[in-house]
Amino acid sequence: MNPHHPATGLDERLRAALAARADLVRPEDLAPLAPVVPLRPRWRTPLLLLAAAAAVLLVLGLVLDGLGRDPRSDDVAPSPDDRVELELPADVGRDWEADEYSTPARLDLDGDGTDEKVVFLGEPSPQLDGRVRMQTTLSGSGEEAWGVTDIETTIVNALDPVDADGDGDQELVLYYDDFANGGFPLVFDLREGLLVQAVVDAPELLVRGQVPAPGGGEYYDMVRVHDYWVEDGTLWSSRSVNAYAAGTRTMTLIKPLVTVHDAWTWRLTEDGLLEPVDQGCIRHDIARDSRTPCEADSADDLPAVTEVAAESIGIGESAPVEGGFPFTVRLRAAADPRLVVEVGQGRAFELGLDVVDPRVLTTQPVSVFSDGPSVVLTSASDPGYVRVVHSDGERLRELEPTGEVALTGDASQRTWLTADGTLVTAVAGEGDTWRLWFWQWVGREEMAALPGTTVCFDDPADPATLRHC
Amino acid sequence: MEPSVDITELYAAHRLSLVRLAVLLVDDLASAEDVVQDAFAALARRPDAVKDPSKALAYLRVSVVNTARSALRRRRTARAYSPPHDLSPPSPEDTAVLAEEHREVIAALRRLAPRQREVLVLRYWSNLSEAEIAHALRISQGTVKSTASRALVALENAMQATTATASGKEER
Repeated sequence: MNPHHPATGLDERLRAALAARADLVRPEDLAPLAPVVPLRPRWRTPLLLLAAAAAVLLVLGLVLDGLGRDPRSDDVAPSPDDRVELELPADVGRDWEADEYSTPARLDLDGDGTDEKVVFLGEPSPQLDGRVRMQTTLSGSGEEAWGVTDIETTIVNALDPVDADGDGDQELVLYYDDFANGGFPLVFDLREGLLVQAVVDAPELLVRGQVPAPGGGEYYDMVRVHDYWVEDGTLWSSRSVNAYAAGTRTMTLIKPLVTVHDAWTWRLTEDGLLEPVDQGCIRHDIARDSRTPCEADSADDLPAVTEVAAESIGIGESAPVEGGFPFTVRLRAAADPRLVVEVGQGRAFELGLDVVDPRVLTTQPVSVFSDGPSVVLTSASDPGYVRVVHSDGERLRELEPTGEVALTGDASQRTWLTADGTLVTAVAGEGDTWRLWFWQWVGREEMAALPGTTVCFDDPADPATLRHC
Repeated sequence: MEPSVDITELYAAHRLSLVRLAVLLVDDLASAEDVVQDAFAALARRPDAVKDPSKALAYLRVSVVNTARSALRRRRTARAYSPPHDLSPPSPEDTAVLAEEHREVIAALRRLAPRQREVLVLRYWSNLSEAEIAHALRISQGTVKSTASRALVALENAMQATTATASGKEER
């Protein structure tokens, strides 16, 4: 009960209604638990200027309050975005020096038609990870302009400049690189002689790298691919419409060469807020390095798995195997057939085979293993038999299939090796759909399939008839 | 500095209650989940912001209230430029199964000013004291008191207006 408001029917009615409404949200209604991944590093902390002001206020507070209290958790909670808080740089680093591997940026910061040369002075640090002072002399006024940033490296090379606010002068674009999360750009606008970093609205849309998406398994995470770039003076970013499997034991990303993405350009407001402007869908062709607007029916390309590796040898035959580690493979006739791999200089490995009518494909399954000899074994009399054999440097071993998909072949599951060495299993789904799975080496003696896209076949027995559903 | 709080544990322990708080502030579940996710992301970015684990929930609660307010502001801005049918956040499905008496209250709550709504939700659902609400909203206790009082009056008026409108429609 509110002690300062008389108990009324309304109080109780309000309390009951709120409880009823809240209770409508049940645990099972929530989206699957998503890891909370910090995409922003520590530089996105409150303003240096405000920090300085806060220090002054802290002193005043101590004077006024006597003993300072411990900060409450509420004190440091994020504030609503009533206003844009720009981080004004401290005047430090005049005596720092530019790293020999840094490249000065040239751009028209003051909009007078003449480029300024911005040098990057690095804070001395053993790991070259100190702050950076950006410094220039404005061509229009002859005055000095500067800013300070921390991108965890003092080796600085700017991206192409942008004019994100469309005011005719250019903004400096640096970037933060993060091996784990990919990184993001930082935009600096000249404001009253200072290079001030724009505050990013929706920073999760302005990153590069693989960002976790729902789903995943023991050997892979599902991720969306984010990217940013500068094109014709405009900062763009994109996020793949679909999520892809990223191997947790390998660096593999199961993604076709042409993918569709949601895209944004970034506009700088008068307040210094860098905000996204929806640009709809774009189609990214990574092979041609081109980005074009989507057509009405644009979708990710189908994976290039339609060309089947058909060449194989049988008992008593041998063949060179190329397309990876070069070697010769032979099936030796004996009481039990034996697989022989000859790697040159008289070195050979043998493995006894426990299969009827063995065949060895002469295309190497490089998608599974490429650090040494590997082959795909099949059987002329057992269409469901598929094995991958590789050399661990001392002997031949069969890789043990593990994970969500078995390495077998039947009416509901078909496995084939493509002409470029990708081992694929299609698993029948609902209706006439099939989910493609791509085999990867995941451990010393194990391989697992990572999920790809869902497709359809005109003839499920013929990978060449693959099509969108 | 090592973070003092385990965000994963906090996430598991408090996500549901925070989503419930958020849904009372932003109406629909999807937005509420986003608000809570943003709150945790903010904490993840500054894991050392909360040094005392016992205060983590308070921190997150404040973060949810603030983020929800921002979400409502963005929604209002978007509405100003988009046809109403493009954005209809107070999802009817979300409250369709509420009893009629509760639905009337929740509908009236949506018509209050954000600050009034926050005070009522924190007082009558989160059961916070005036001092705690004052800290969460960064206003004085006196303002909490006056806001709560005015909010209840406004809520009652909104409910009466809703009832009158409904009666009028029935009569027609």
